Amino acid sequence: MQQVTITLNKREISGQAGMTVLNLALEAGVEIPTLCNDPHLTPAGACRLCLVEDEKSGALLVSCVTPISPGMKINTDSPRVVAHRRTIVKLMLASHSDSCVVCDKGNRCRLRQFAADLGIGRIELERIPQPALIREANPYITRDLSKCILCARCIRACQELVVEGVVDYYRRGFKTQPATLGDNPLEKTDCTFCGTCVAVCPTGALMEKDSAYQGTTKTAVMTTCPFCGCGCAVRLEIKGGKAVRALPGKNRMSSRGALCVRGSYGEDFTHSKERLLRPLLRDEGGFREVSWDEALAAAAAGLQQVKDSFGAGSLAVFGSPKCSNEENYLLQMFARTVLGTNNIDNSANLYNAATREGLGASVGFPGTTNHLSALEQANVIMIAGTDPAVSAPQVAYTIKRAVKFKQTRLIVIDPRRTKLASFAQLWLRPKFGTDPVLLNAIARSIIEGGLLDTEFVVRKTDNFEAMHKALEKYTPEYAESITGVSREEIDKAARLYAAAATSVIIFGTGITKQSRGADSVKALANLALLTANIWCRGCGIYAMQKDSNAQGACDMGAIPDFLPGYQHIFNYHIRKKFERHWQKSLPSKQGISAADMFLGAGKDGKIRGMYVVGENPAASWAQTDLVRNALSSLEFLVVQDLFLSETAKLAHVVLPAASFAEKDGTFTNFEGRIGHLRRAVRPAGESLPDWQIILRLAGQLGQPLPFADLQQVMDDIEEFIPLYEGYCHEDGRFDDDWSFWEQRRDSCRQSLSGFARFSAVGFEPEAASGDYPYTLVLQSSLPHFGSGARTGKVSRLRRFLTEPHLLVNPGDAEKLGLTAGARVRIVSPAAALSAVLKTDADLPTGTVSLPASFPEANRLFCLEKKPGAGRASLNVCYVRIERIEHNV
Amino acid sequence: MCNVDAKDSSRIDMGRVREIVGEYSENRWPLIPLVQKLQDEMGYIPPESIPVIAGALGLFPSEVQGVISFYTQLYNEPRGKNVVRVCRGTACHVRGGKTILKLVKQELGIEEGETTEDMEYTLETVACIGVCALAPTMVVSNRVYGNMNPKRLRQLFKKDGNRHDG
Repeated sequence: MQQVTITLNKREISGQAGMTVLNLALEAGVEIPTLCNDPHLTPAGACRLCLVEDEKSGALLVSCVTPISPGMKINTDSPRVVAHRRTIVKLMLASHSDSCVVCDKGNRCRLRQFAADLGIGRIELERIPQPALIREANPYITRDLSKCILCARCIRACQELVVEGVVDYYRRGFKTQPATLGDNPLEKTDCTFCGTCVAVCPTGALMEKDSAYQGTTKTAVMTTCPFCGCGCAVRLEIKGGKAVRALPGKNRMSSRGALCVRGSYGEDFTHSKERLLRPLLRDEGGFREVSWDEALAAAAAGLQQVKDSFGAGSLAVFGSPKCSNEENYLLQMFARTVLGTNNIDNSANLYNAATREGLGASVGFPGTTNHLSALEQANVIMIAGTDPAVSAPQVAYTIKRAVKFKQTRLIVIDPRRTKLASFAQLWLRPKFGTDPVLLNAIARSIIEGGLLDTEFVVRKTDNFEAMHKALEKYTPEYAESITGVSREEIDKAARLYAAAATSVIIFGTGITKQSRGADSVKALANLALLTANIWCRGCGIYAMQKDSNAQGACDMGAIPDFLPGYQHIFNYHIRKKFERHWQKSLPSKQGISAADMFLGAGKDGKIRGMYVVGENPAASWAQTDLVRNALSSLEFLVVQDLFLSETAKLAHVVLPAASFAEKDGTFTNFEGRIGHLRRAVRPAGESLPDWQIILRLAGQLGQPLPFADLQQVMDDIEEFIPLYEGYCHEDGRFDDDWSFWEQRRDSCRQSLSGFARFSAVGFEPEAASGDYPYTLVLQSSLPHFGSGARTGKVSRLRRFLTEPHLLVNPGDAEKLGLTAGARVRIVSPAAALSAVLKTDADLPTGTVSLPASFPEANRLFCLEKKPGAGRASLNVCYVRIERIEHNV
Repeated sequence: MCNVDAKDSSRIDMGRVREIVGEYSENRWPLIPLVQKLQDEMGYIPPESIPVIAGALGLFPSEVQGVISFYTQLYNEPRGKNVVRVCRGTACHVRGGKTILKLVKQELGIEEGETTEDMEYTLETVACIGVCALAPTMVVSNRVYGNMNPKRLRQLFKKDGNRHDG
């Protein structure tokens, strides 16, 4: 890149050609005031405050939009520049509201800062009448146009970062204002209330609503959002021992200036009144508050007693993708060395196992193979079985940016109308659960059409023949009859995906929660291998994660079949290595999975005692009735949680845990990127971080784990998990540099034969039939996460709880002789429940849906697997719908 | 120019809107010519058509609205069959343009920027129409009327009902 030298405040300085004067000055440490400039947004030159003088030409230049050119002699604070700057600020203040004293923006207001810096108090200009204050009914954002300076930051953030484009300039001249379509209030638009516009607004025009006056905060802590698998950096502003505000972290990589509604407005579950403050012990009369010593003694005694009477194999530990890496590492160590069992699992393993097995077998890497921003380098993105707009908003933003600004073409495979479907070049709507057939048909079409990368297939892969043979059956005609997707669309998808130079596949729980999720993942990986779209720039396979630390919990070995870092438990040498280091013997028998824990718990079962950390299986798991029965029939149950959850209510001892904002640690997001948790506030009441509780419990059991503090745990992780070498040092080590992913692949070489492997995947679709003719799916909503254990405690988010309506296609409703508003019974093999019916034309026929934030819905799903299936299908369940007569 | 019965424009032919949008969506920089064509045919740009335009051109609806609201010659509301533009230029002003405007307002019973209830007339003012020699001037349905005086004005609105298409 060509270097250009200019003189800046009498100093010679050089920068890359094309750079703006403002950015060069920032680099050189020269401050130029600006209201409209933001590093994440394209420069607009709207506020004119950043003007500078070019001594050579005498021109006043707007530095944020002026590229540097050779020989410029820039002066950033000559008397002339300062005089102009003062006039500009005065003009802004002349049409600005006078309410600085009571404005919650306080000293964070940039306009006020610059006015103070320039010594502007009273303004001699005639004041311009203010436009009316507009109040919005939504619970998140309030707008006061009298404070708007028309810098267009909100407009650009909405268009360029989150790609919703809800607001733009409206009218012109003095009448100009940012406005939605028809100047409607935000709640009547497509706004997702991500809060990005509020975070970028330099004045008090856009503010957080419903928060008491907080004004300026003195401390802020950079931590990581605890909800979805994106792991965005969040800046928590602290006042009076409380986190009062959550803003996008400055870390460029993992939040890029934007959060979602959960990140911006959902973090205050930490300060919920429902938090557990002291340990609870069950006695005859119910729960009693006790001291930590008493609670830990009771917990240790109970676990020890079960172990003594029924053996270590009768104990099980349930870890959590909501807990940090260090906590999951300690927890698996606790299970294996203190309790002496491999019966440890976490709920993310339900879907992660399919990813690990599927991708491991085909590309030799157990997770996402590229980084998030590489999506913007891809020519084609194919999404299957996930709706990132709801489950991983940051991914959706990136996809939308790629489509809107980088001409990336998008293929969406989803029976439901998702937000991203409207951005898609091609939207395929296979019937629920038939995606593997569709994927196989696309693979066949790629081969038939001669679109495969022969050189890659020959040199870098094996098992092509077997797969090719297995694909014979998947003719377009066959696929059309099974999936309902026309052969033209299948061919079009194949051409689009294969003909592009670089293509990406993104998949989620819609694929991995299927009964043969691993096979479906292999079918997806086959597409990438056929077209050599793996391990290169702008290519790859992305596995979406549901929870903030889903990847990490599994990486740490909180799973029954692997030691930390997916090191095989059956391998004698590996086991010995860990035994030497931990100075404990390790059980060699494979543990049982979470589903089997519940299926095998109770009086006659294998499992007699459980230690559940940070999970609520009694509400959020499939076949809830069975899970609840299993848990309540245990001899002994210890639950460690933030709230007195449905599971905790069944426990003998309840231990209060600290929330993400109250502890240190790390999360691993879906890319494999590390996000740091930093203690921002004191733990509520007497609650303790999970890692401390685990250490104390181990000590109580007479077998202390050899760690004095968190750093020692981190050192252990670094030493034993290859992918985590040096992980705990700082944010952003995993930058968007390609070399990191190269290294990552190389560190897994030991498990690679050097070849990627095709898998022959046959597939017989399960179908709704007979007694249970309808396919039930759960529909997630953006403000509510999972079953709502945390988001349900946030008053602002709770206002968006949808009524638990059963959504049915209008045609199906007619067939059933039902109209909207009718009360119906939904019956599955596992349970039955009642709900009010509503029609939704966007649902495919034969499919019905319930909101995921309605935990009762989980009761209908089956945990027991069908004979022959790898495991139960957890993304769909088959139901019938019965009318409830009014007088029954 | 606006040869559609303005009264009917409350019922928008969305099919026709989609047709017009379809004609332009492949062009380069199609937005302005497209909305001009829409306005030519429909008399105004129906707000209902904005999402359709935005969808076809890959723009945000708020962005399309922003462009339409920026240009004074693009309208989001139905307008009268005849657009009356009274000149407020300097030459017209010194020769009584202000009075002419007042009389037009009286004659039509509407203010600037408004449309008569029967959708016959919309009243606007312009800065100068460039025929200062004929001041005071006005334009009715693209036809220039010069040397205006109260008598001529009354005749103009009385004469031939509402036909000013010439």
